Formats: sequence, C-alpha cells, structure tokens
Amino acid sequence: MKNAAAIEVHDLRKTYQVRDGGSWRGKTREITALDGISFTVPAGEIAGFIGPNGAGKSTAIKILAGILRPTSGTVRVGNLIPWENRLAHVARIGVVFGQRTQLWWDLSVGEGLALLRDIYSVEPARFLRNRERLADALDLHGIMDQSVRQLSLGQRMRAEIAAALIHDPDVIILDEPTIGLDAPSKLAVRAFVRDLRRERGTTVLLTTHDMHDIEALADRVIVIGHGRILADSPFEALQATTLSERILEADFTGPLPDLLLPEGATETARGSRSVTITFDPQRLPAPVLVAHLSTLPGLGDLRIGRPAIEEIITRFYADHAS
Amino acid sequence: MTIKPYVTSFVLQWKIGLRYRLAVLAGLVAQMWFGAISLMAYAAVYHHAPGVDAPMTLRQAMTYTWIQQSLFTLLPLGCLPAIGEAAKSGAIVYDLLRPVDLWNWWLSASLARLLGNAIPRAVLLAAVAGPLAALVGLNGWSLAPPASLWAAILALCSFILGAFISASIVMWWNIVTARTLSPLGTYAVGTPLAVLLSGMLLPLPLYPDWARELLLFQPFAGISDIPIRLYMGMAIPGGVLTALGIQCFWLAALTLVGRFWMHRTISRMEVQGA
Ligand SMILES: Nc1ncnc2c1ncn2[C@@H]1O[C@H](COP(=O)(O)OP(=O)(O)O)[C@@H](O)[C@H]1O
Ligand SMILES: [Mg+2]
Repeated sequence: MKNAAAIEVHDLRKTYQVRDGGSWRGKTREITALDGISFTVPAGEIAGFIGPNGAGKSTAIKILAGILRPTSGTVRVGNLIPWENRLAHVARIGVVFGQRTQLWWDLSVGEGLALLRDIYSVEPARFLRNRERLADALDLHGIMDQSVRQLSLGQRMRAEIAAALIHDPDVIILDEPTIGLDAPSKLAVRAFVRDLRRERGTTVLLTTHDMHDIEALADRVIVIGHGRILADSPFEALQATTLSERILEADFTGPLPDLLLPEGATETARGSRSVTITFDPQRLPAPVLVAHLSTLPGLGDLRIGRPAIEEIITRFYADHAS
Repeated sequence: MTIKPYVTSFVLQWKIGLRYRLAVLAGLVAQMWFGAISLMAYAAVYHHAPGVDAPMTLRQAMTYTWIQQSLFTLLPLGCLPAIGEAAKSGAIVYDLLRPVDLWNWWLSASLARLLGNAIPRAVLLAAVAGPLAALVGLNGWSLAPPASLWAAILALCSFILGAFISASIVMWWNIVTARTLSPLGTYAVGTPLAVLLSGMLLPLPLYPDWARELLLFQPFAGISDIPIRLYMGMAIPGGVLTALGIQCFWLAALTLVGRFWMHRTISRMEVQGA
C-alpha cells in the first residue's frame, strides 16, 4: 500500500504577483515565496517544517496539498502530481490549516463528519470505526452534537483533526495545527499524531511555531527561511547542535555583580538589574551554571528556557552565511 | 462519481434552513404586509381606471402578488451565506481540497438553501392567502387556485426549473464572492436586480408594452414570473413551449458559462493563492 517515498519535492519555486495598494491600477510586484526547495519524506515519517513568519512554509504546504500551482519545480505525493491530479490527490490526503475551519459552522461536529463520509465515500462500517477511534483519542464524545459555531478553539481544533482523518488518508499535512491551543489540547493532538503514525504508518508533514511540537513528533526537521532550505536533518542531529542551546535569565536585587561565567556560557544581553546568558547544557549542565550563579551576591530570580524559533533561524543565517 | 455527497449537502442545508423557524415566521409577517399593501394599491388603481385595457385582471394581479411574496426567499438575492463566510475567513481553500465537483457541490447547497427558506413560507402563505382568506370572506383578495389541472402540472415543472435557475444565478454570485473574497458586492447588486427583474416589485406583465416582451427574455423572469403565468393560465407570447424553452435556455446558459467561469476562477485561485 505504501510508496517508498511519500513526498518528493525537487527545486520548487513559487513567485506571487501582487499589485501595490491592492488596486487594479497599482504596479505589479513579484514576491518570491519559494526559491528552489528540494526534500524527500519517506512513507511513515513525520517531518517538521520550521521557519519564521513569511518563510514560505504555508506556500509549500498549499502546493503539496494541490491547491496552489508552483511557478516551477516538481512535486510527487505518492506518485501523483498534486495540482495536475487534484481530485485523485486530495482524496488520499488529509489537511489541517490551523487558522481556518473546514467543518461547517452551521452543522454539528457529527453532521460535519457524516458529510465528509459521503464526500470521501468512506464505507459505513469503516466510518463508524474511525469516528469512534477519533472521538476516543481526541475526546470528542461530549461535543458530537454541538454546533461548530459554539465550540471553543481547542475543541474545534480537535474536531478539525478528526475531520481531516476520517477517511484514513495516507499522507497528512498540518499547517500550524497547535496554534492557539490550550496545553491539554496540544498534548492530545501530539499524542494522536504519534499514534497514527505508529499504527497506520501515515506520513506526516507539519509546520509549527512551537518547538515542543517538533520535539514531541518530528523524526526530521526541515528549517526554511526566505524560501530556501537552511537545514534538513534528523531531529537528534538538530537537537545535539542548535536545539540544545538554553537561555538563562537572572534578576538581581542590587546592581549586577561581576559574573565570571564558566566555560560554555556567554552573556547575550544585560539590563540594569538583569542579565541573559546563553549556554550549551552539553558542555555546561544547567545545575552547574545555577550553582555558580547562586554564589553571586543579590541573586533574586532565575528562569531557564529555550531560544525562540526566530533566534534559531537567525543563528542558521549566521552559520550558513552565503 | 457518486451523487451521494451532493444529496447529503442538500439535506443538511435544508435542515439548516428549517432551523430558523422564527425567521420564517418573521419573514412571513413581512411578506403578508407587503402583499397586502400591493393589493390595496392595485385595487385603487383598477377601480379608478376601469376603462383601461390592463394586461392582467385585478384578480390575477392579486394572485400574482401572493405567489411572488411567498417566493421572496427563492430569489437569488446574493451568494450562499456559508460561501461568503468561508471567503472572508479564508476557509474557502478547503473547498478546493474536496474530491468533489465544485459546481455541483455548491449548487446543491445553494438550491437547498433557497428551497429550505422558500417552501415553508410558501406553504404557510398559500394557506393564509388561499383557503383561510376565503373562509373569512376575503374571497376577492385571496389567492386563486390554478387555472386548470393542466396549468397546475405545467406550473409545477416550471417552478422546479425556476428554482434551478435561481440556484444557478446564486452560483454566479458565489463565484463573484470567491473572486473578490467578500459577499457584500453580490448582495448590493443581486438584491435590487432580483427584486426588480423577477417581477417581485411590479409584476412583469404590468410593464409598458415595449418592456414587457424584453423582460420575459431575461433569466430572472424564469424564476417565478413564468411559473406564475402558467399557474394562472395567462397567455404568454409564443405559448407554453416558449415559456418552458426560455427557462431551459437560461438554465443551460447559466450552467455552461458559469462552469467555464468557475473553472477560470479556480485556476486563478491556484495561481494567486486563496
Ligand atoms: N496569496 C499570496 N499572494 C501574495 N503573496 C503571498 C501570498 N501568500 C503568501 N505570500 C507571501 O509569500 C511569502 C511566504 O508566505 P507563507 O508561505 O505564508 O510563509 P509562512 O507560512 O512561512 O509564514 C510571504 O512574504 C507572504 O507575504
Ligand atoms: Mg504560514
């Protein structure tokens, strides 16, 4: 049933024509959203697309979904060219756009799923089985009869995921599926995608702004910026290098003392009573750094976190400067 | 290719229409009110100019008005609201992600929406303006029964064609909405156009001679004007076949050109991004 490579993308380019001022009289201008990207996702793999706003992630996702034509380049999803065999292609994929709703506002969740059953010609027995499984996994039993208009964002997103999966797609494409979700819903979505891959071997391509999504799900991480691929590596490789970095913020009750930072830590920002330190926990474990800081006079508060995606990308630019 | 999704879509839209029972009642009251005012105006005109050779009798004008009022929501006043919402929110891209024929998909929903709105009102209004009005002694003001059994059969076929014509015009509004990403323009243009050209404002047979025949040959006449004339057994230039022929012509033309235009619109969305 599975193809060796579920998704193959080669030298994909997309240029949008936009009119300045939005009117028909304005001059046209070109925006290059994708500037020649290539990658392959084998069947059964979960690949994460990360990059700052405007990097071209959604553009790539729409081309893969078959609803946008590229300017040039080739794409095959399970041996179909999405925009040329649109109807056959969309019958086999499931898509979630995090900020848009595919369920029908006026219908209940259950009615929406029934409509999707007929759209995708899902056999009744299989439909009932899938519906039960999705309702269990995504905690939908309580909201099946509720109209979509009345759902909270978290409930709606979980229903959206069910809607994208009711027809057992071979490939699922998720554009920011966890955006705006509360913590329990995020966990439910992640767990569900993980199980799906394990049980059905579904290929998943997702974009996200949340590094926790990547950490929980992705086998592969593709970093994209300004329409180009900056890095494409297994999650472990990325984690060992760029993703491992941590940020520590320390507040002092008085003026900043002399920090005398140990090897592996650098001071990256400084206020009058606070300091930001970037460190690599592989070289300098967090407890050691914290122990060191605790010896300093006037230490008030400590926070440790990870750098934002934007910072990671900036780092990539510095590292891969062309 | 299966028709199941289109049928399901039709049924669901129909149910949504029925959910708004209060709106049906409120609309009914408004329609009765407008109907009554029109009737009084006609009565006044007809009584003050008894010598004029009008193309319709007062009785026909009253029946015409009642049926038009009861079919107000069958008119293509603008795009399908769900498509307007989807265009504004960007969810319209999901319609390209469905393995269905987009024309049939939107058409079945549009038709269901029109019928789901119109039929409950039409039934209620027919009951009030027909037998009930007769019962309370307003015989002269009431809705007359069809001219004959044959007229009833012809009118039924014609009403069905009319509903499809209206849904096809709604499809054109849907396409405009998909292109402009806003439903407002279609309501601004569609509502006055439909109210005027369908004969809702003034029955088409009452227009001056030079306009009367022209007005018969535009698509909005096929929605309710032609079916009503058949119902009342009114003479139509060219006869019954011409009447049904005009309807079939517009249904075919709106569908063929509309499908082509929709195809172009989808291509444009695929290039420019929705
Ligand atoms: N439909 C469109 N028309 C014109 N420009 C667009 C369109 N969609 C996206 N863009 C532009 O293309 C670039 C990439 O956008 P996008 O693919 O949405 O990035 P991301 O999802 O990574 O934030 C941005 O500069 C954006 O403004
Ligand atoms: Mg995006």
